[in-house]
Formats: sequence, C-alpha cells, structure tokens
Amino acid sequence: MIFLNINNLNVSIEGKQILNNFNITINQGEVHAIMGPNGCGKSTLANVLAGNEDYEVNSGKIIFKDEDLLDLNIEQRAQKGLFLAFQYPVEIPGVNITPFLHASINSKLKNEKKPELDNLSFAKLLRKNAEELDISSDMLKRSINTGFSGGEKKRYEILQMSILNPELTIFDETDSGLDVDALKIVTEGINKFKNPKKSYLIITHYQKLLDYIHPDHVHVMRNGKIVKSGDISLATEIEASGYQNF
Amino acid sequence: MTFENNFNIHSKEYIFIDNDILSNQREDIFKKIFKKNFDKNNNESLKNITITDLSTFEYFYKPIKEGSTVTLIDDSQYEIKLVNGICKNYEDENIEIRNFTNLDFKIFLNQDKNNLDDIVVDFNKMFLNSGIFFNIKSDTKLKIRLIHDTFDNFTIFQNNFIKFQKRCEVKLEDNFNLTNKSINNINYNINVEEGATIKHNIFQNFTNSNKLYLTSNTVCEKNSSYSQNTYNFSDGFVRNFHHVNLNGEFSNALLKGCFFLKDKNICSNKTNILHNAENCFSDQTYKGVLNDHSKASYYSNTFVSENAQKTEGYQLSKGILLTDNCSFFSKPELRIFADDVKCSHGSTIGPVDENALYYLRTRGISKSEAMKMIISSFIDEDLQNLDNNIADRISKNLSDYLTSLVND
Repeated sequence: MIFLNINNLNVSIEGKQILNNFNITINQGEVHAIMGPNGCGKSTLANVLAGNEDYEVNSGKIIFKDEDLLDLNIEQRAQKGLFLAFQYPVEIPGVNITPFLHASINSKLKNEKKPELDNLSFAKLLRKNAEELDISSDMLKRSINTGFSGGEKKRYEILQMSILNPELTIFDETDSGLDVDALKIVTEGINKFKNPKKSYLIITHYQKLLDYIHPDHVHVMRNGKIVKSGDISLATEIEASGYQNF
Repeated sequence: MTFENNFNIHSKEYIFIDNDILSNQREDIFKKIFKKNFDKNNNESLKNITITDLSTFEYFYKPIKEGSTVTLIDDSQYEIKLVNGICKNYEDENIEIRNFTNLDFKIFLNQDKNNLDDIVVDFNKMFLNSGIFFNIKSDTKLKIRLIHDTFDNFTIFQNNFIKFQKRCEVKLEDNFNLTNKSINNINYNINVEEGATIKHNIFQNFTNSNKLYLTSNTVCEKNSSYSQNTYNFSDGFVRNFHHVNLNGEFSNALLKGCFFLKDKNICSNKTNILHNAENCFSDQTYKGVLNDHSKASYYSNTFVSENAQKTEGYQLSKGILLTDNCSFFSKPELRIFADDVKCSHGSTIGPVDENALYYLRTRGISKSEAMKMIISSFIDEDLQNLDNNIADRISKNLSDYLTSLVND
C-alpha cells in the first residue's frame, strides 16, 4: 500500500506559486520532520494536505492510502484518517467541545461503516484521554478553543487527535507560541499516543520540538520544495548555522 | 382597496368612534398620509416598507368573541387566547383582563402622550378596531402565556395596555404563530411599576401571507426591570419596533432579538431606550441570520438625558449573511447629554467565519453540519438563561430553519 506519496506537486494561492514540484514519500509508522525558513511553503503543504480550498493545486498528485487525496474534500480526508494539528487553532465561541468531538468521531466511524459511539461510551473515552493529557473536566464544558491559553489550545489539538485516532497527523508548527514547559507537556502528549502504525509529519522552524519527538527523517524545505533530506543530524546542523547553507 | 376607501367606508367599525378628539386626530393622520406630508426618506419607521405596502389592503374586521379563553393552569400560571384581538373578560386576585370599552378612552389618550413619529403607529390609531386592558396586580408572581389567533383575511389594528403593578414578577410569553392570511398591526403600551420584574418573551413564527407590525412602548418606574426577548422565525413580513422609557432610578431594560430569515422575507427592527433617571442600565442586542434574498434592518438608539448620571447603556448587532443576495442594514446610535456614563455600541455583519468552517471540516464534520454548528453557536449564549421549555422551543425552530437552508 502507498501510505503517502506526494509527486511533483505545484500549488499556488491568488496566482502566486508556493509549492514547486514538491515530492515526499512517508511510509506507515514513520515520523518525518520538515524544517524551513518563513515563507518556504511549509504551512501551505499542511493546508493542501488537509484540503484547504483557498489553495489551487496546479499539477501533481497526492496518494494517501492508495487513493487520490485530491479527489476528496476536507471532511472526507479527515474521515480517511488525516489530521491537521493547527498552528493557530481557531476559536469558535458557542460550539461546545464535547458534542463537537462526539460528532467528529461518529462521522469518522460512520464513514468506516463501524458502529457509532453512544453518549456514554464517548464520555468514557473522552474522560480517559483528557485525564492522560491532564485536561480538566471543566475545560471539556467550554467552547472550542475559546479563552484557551496557547498551551491549552495545543493540548486540546492533541486531545482531538487522540480521540479521532488518525493514521497520519500533520503538526503545523505546533511549537509556535509555546514556552518550554508548555512545549514539554504537548510533546509528552504526542508521545503518549504514538503508535508504530501511525505516521507523523512535523512542520517546525526549530530543533527544540525534535528533541522531544524523535523523527526518522528530517527534510529541509526552501522555495516550495525539499532541498535536502537526512536524519536528526540535519536538524542539529540547521540549529547551528541556519538555513543559508541550503 | 385604496387607503381612502378603507378609511371612509369602514370608519364606523373602529373603536372610540364617538370621541371627537380621536376623530380629529384620525382625520389629521389621514390628511398627512394622503398628501404624503412627511419626510419619507428619513423616516426609520418606513425602512423596508413603503406607504403603498402599508395602505394597500382590504380592510376586514368583525369582533368575534367565540374562541377567546382564559385558562388558569395553576395558581400562578395562565394561558390567555386572543382571537382577532378580542379577549375573554376575566378577573381574579392576580390579574384583570378585559376588552376596551368607550370608557377606556382616557387610558388610550393618556398612553398616547408618547409621540413615536411612526407611520405604522399612525395607521394603528386610524384603523383601531380592538384593544385589551391587562392589569397584573401588585406582589404577584405569575407566568402568563398569550396566544394570538387571527382569522383569514382579517386586518387587526389593536392597541393593548398592560399595567404591571408594584413588585410583581411576571414571565410573559407572547405567541404569534399566525397561520391564516392576515395583517396584524399591534401596539403595546406597557407600564412597569416600582419594583416590578418582567420577562417578556415574544415568539413570531408564521406563514408567508401574514404581516405583523408589532410596536411596544414601555415605561419603567423606580427599581423596575423589563427584559424583552424577541424570536422571529417567520416566513411573513415582521416589523419589531420597541421603545423603553427608563423614568425611575435604578430601573433597567433589556431589548434583545434574534431573527432567522430566508426566501424574500423581510424583517424591520428598531429599539430605542431613553434614560431619563440616574443609575439605570440598558442593553439592546439584535442578532440575525439571513439566507436567499432576505432583508433586515436594525436601528438602535440610546438617549441619555442630562440628569441621567451613572447610566450604563449598551448596544450590539450581529448578522450572518449566508448568500450574496441577502442584506442586513444596521445603524446604532448614541445620544448622550450626561457626563458620567458608560455606553457603547457595535455592529458586525458578514458571512459565516470561513476559518471556523474549515477547522470543523478538518475534524470530519460535513460542511452542512459545520454550518449548523456555527449558526447555532451564534445564539447559544442567548439561550443560556431561558426556561427549558422556551429554550427547547427555540432550538426546535432553529433546527427547522437550519434543515431548510443548508445543502452540501
């Protein structure tokens, strides 16, 4: 099975080319990190994978679990097992976390033709996962991301990931806006739910995040394409001398 | 039928016809409207309506007493059904309700001191064919459910007077679930006496051949509280104009409304609060969701007189436009003549937040469900403090509205 293969992907927004013949292959169970300077197209990649309709895919292919991802809309991609942890999770006042997540998991289960979770089963699952992430039950009564601190928002993203149990998670600069303690809490959360059958694509500027989540492959991205691939030592090199050598 | 014919042929059918003062006033109004002797361009009462809309109708009214009821559900709960603006006369130790008689002319004239400069209210006075006097007695604690029923083709021009006596606590539920084709021009004059606390919930959910012009003019005395929530899910034309005079110290008024429009429906709203005494509080908040080619307007006004120090007055309007063809015009206004006040106004109107929609969809929620979640959240905070049965009813109406409009 081809898990994720992106082949010669060209993407633009409002006429401006962002991704240029972008290629990557991620196998099941692998952790990949993409590092790059501001404006190199990292977040565009994350959003294109999630199906953001603001971007125009001009050419290229994305195969995910043997299916052409570009044929699927945003929610179908999520139902197929793709999860985007946002750099800036959106605040949605009035939409309560618990029924929202319940609807999310059930839409995924329905798509997989599996029995949906009743209120009680979902409440148990939510409570268990929230406890593992040290999220209080009070927080679960609140509206999505509303009034959350930066750390709380990212922890809530991890909670959603743990409930939806995706096969591919994309972390779009999850470390941005987090202090050292918050970063540790969030990465511990990610590691708790790591699983050899799951794959992760970590997008970041800095090595710090990769000290906590150890990637199998590190890629450097510039001008909309990967210019170098290697192991964790590549991240150390970037930390020492920046991106100008790439 | 023309405006002129309506006025001349049916003039004997109106109430208070024997009173010279009112007859003269009616003549004056007729002349003013007939000769178009008013500034129609700057008249907020004509937003989304024209004089032709107002005056072109077939006047038809008969006072039918059958069907109107007063039901005592328990010691503190009443259900009152009005048919064609007529009630069943009733009195007990808590309430008194009766139809206007010629003897009530003084009440009518006194309440008319508040000149609203409103053509719709002028029409109400011209064609006045029904009126009810409600008296809620002091120190009572009641729930009252009012049901308005209008027969097919009837034109109701009604003027009601509601007196909430001292220290009463009343939850008044006002239901306009009109199913017959009709015109309803209803004017409330409400007096909230010292220490009274009133929660007035108004439900408007009727079919597209109906028109409802609902105007209220409320006076709040010392330490009283008047809270009005209007929920409009109607297919027909609705005009909600609500005014409050905060005349007593430490009185407060909340005028809130939500409307949900589709097709070519129109909803015209105005709220107006006059702070005439110190230490008063007011809040005017209207929210609307518009689809298809629907249109809405909302004027809000806070007036703080010179002697109304320590005033707090807030205004807010919010609108969600679901298509490029619908429109929502909002104009908040503050006029402040005191110097120790806290006042604000704000307005946000736009499409559904695309970022919120995207976020929900990335979690596997379909576009239609995500849209429903976002629109429901829009009025979620307004449902928090309502009684369960009322909140459930609004949720049901909202759910019907959402089902009718969202397609994948």
